This record gives sequence, structure tokens and C-alpha cells, in this order.
Amino acid sequence: MSTINFAAREINCKIVYYGPGMSGKTTNLKHVFSRVPGHLRGDMVSLATEDERTLFFDFLPLDLGTVQGFKTRFHLYTVPGQVFYNASRKLILRGVDGIVFVADSAPDRLRANAESMRNLRENLAEHGIDVREVPIVLQINKRDLPNALPADMIRAVIDPGKELTMFEAMSDKGVGVFETLKTVSRLVLERLSKTR
Amino acid sequence: MIEPSLELYGDAYERVDQQLQDLLDTTGVRYGLLVDRNGFVLSHKEALWAPRPPALDSVATLVASNAAATAALANLLGERTFSEQIHQGENGTLYVESVGDQTLLTLIFDASVPLGKVKVYAKKTVTQIAAILDELKDAPTPQLGEDFNKGVNALLDDLLG
Repeated sequence: MSTINFAAREINCKIVYYGPGMSGKTTNLKHVFSRVPGHLRGDMVSLATEDERTLFFDFLPLDLGTVQGFKTRFHLYTVPGQVFYNASRKLILRGVDGIVFVADSAPDRLRANAESMRNLRENLAEHGIDVREVPIVLQINKRDLPNALPADMIRAVIDPGKELTMFEAMSDKGVGVFETLKTVSRLVLERLSKTR
Repeated sequence: MIEPSLELYGDAYERVDQQLQDLLDTTGVRYGLLVDRNGFVLSHKEALWAPRPPALDSVATLVASNAAATAALANLLGERTFSEQIHQGENGTLYVESVGDQTLLTLIFDASVPLGKVKVYAKKTVTQIAAILDELKDAPTPQLGEDFNKGVNALLDDLLG
């Protein structure tokens, strides 16, 4: 949950990129890092294995600027997508304010998408968070794959009620990355102001 | 949600700052931070002679994540928690101690500073900061104001297009 420092006039929010392994979560962060001016972002920290698979998390601090005298900052995290790193995923969800669920368009990853969403619900529940309480944006990534499944088919297994805002993306080309981040940021800050 | 937000107000903030400063003055520690368990820096102080500090956001995130992983390990081993973490290198030491359930006192110092001395004084500081944070539980929740959303949307448009 957001940390608000009224004395230092700072608001800090945590956004987590979630999804199955290799769906493009780290690529989203790398694109943000490469495009945001240096004075508005901090160092990107990646705790990865030798073959560059996320081991614990990636982390990127991002300064939005000052709103009503409050310096507003987002901390962006990815989780490791591989199934056996669930302990890490659970830890990183602690205090989450918003989630980007990055789904993979490849036909053989449809089940992995569904399992990752189920895992997200379970891990949020373990933190005492109802999945409906936290803003979630759905990003259907890798739309440029030649055999990409229709976005509606992927959504049907992840978000059958069509409750989430959805973006189609090609994160390696930067398509849809900022649109997704902007939407989840807006939802997080709207929620913050409503609860105060 | 089980994670409450943590809010530091003017007077309390200054008192926490002063506690960190006193600890640095007494022990010769280079950097002192109060970090919340979600990985955000709540307060930090550095010695006048200290070189430019490392990226504090990264330090706070890694310290909080490490503490979370350590707590999970403690649970696996049947402990409620491990209250302190010490990482010693050739030239320096990172010392982290829990302040209540929400925050972590994080101290960075070089090899010339005795760890035992730091531990003794840090424990006193932890007690004092915990008491200050405890007072904040009864503080009223300030409002962000009606125009907050408009300002936020304008900033998001500027930054993310």
C-alpha cells in the first residue's frame, strides 16, 4: 500500500508486472528505462540468472513529478514468471498498489497465462488482498507473433468477465508499453485520492 | 489489506531524523536510513564526511526484499522472525534491524567502526524510533484534496504521452 510521507511531501506507490515466464515483463521495464529521461528515473536493478531470466525481481524507480506539493514516485517491479519461483512472487506482492498482468500471445502459452492469473489471485489472497481491491491492467503481449492467438481468446481465459482494461502490445518494440503504464498509474492514483 | 500505509508527520519526522543523526554522530556510521518494509525510504541521514551515497531507492528496495526473504526463511525454520541482518564485506558492513513490524533501520559503515558498538547504540535508537512511530497510530488521516487527480493526470500525460 502507498507510503505517504506528509513531512517530506512524498507519495510512493508500488506497481508490479505479473505474468507467466517469458511473457515480456522485464522487456516492459527495459523499454520504460530506455525512454524516460534520466532525471526522472533511478537505476534499474535486475536480479537475474546467468541466462537473464528474472530470479527475484527487476526494479525501476520512476518520478512522476510534483502534484499539489507532493513528490510522486512509482516503484516498478517485475516478478519471476517461472512456476517454481512462487515464494519470490509472493514476497514482491507485499504492499502492491497496482498490477500489470502481461499475457503471452503464443498458442502454447494459453494455459500458462491462465495458471499465472490463478496464482496471482492466490498470492494476493495470502496477503489479505481481494483481487477486486487492487487496480489491474491486462496487457496482451507479443501481438506480432505470426501465430498469435486472438486477443479475445486470451482474455476469455484470464478475464472472462471483461472487467480489466486491456492493451495489445509488442513490448520489444515499445508498442503499448507506455499506454499500459499510464492506465495503471492513473487507476492507482485515483484510488489513492478516493480513499483520502 | 494487511499492510497499512505509513505516514510520517512534521514533528515525528524531525524526531526520527534527529535519532538517526545522533546515532551517526555517536557511532561513526556513514549512512543511516529508515526504510519501510515495502521498500520505500522514509528518512535518511549521512555523515558530513561520507562520499556520495549509493542509489537510496535501490538500497531500500533490496534491504526490504532481503528482510522479507529472511522472514520467510525464519518462518520455515520455526522462528517468528530474524530481527537483524548483518552483511560484512572487506571494507564495510550493512546492518539492518527491525523497528516494529513496519520499518527497518539500515546502517552502512566502514571497517574501522566496531560492529558491537553499532549494535549497542542501534538498539537504543530502535526503541526510540519505535516509540515515535507508535504515537502516529492515533494521528488523523490527512486528505489529498480535490484537485489531486487533475494534477496527476496532467503529469502522466507529460511523462508517458
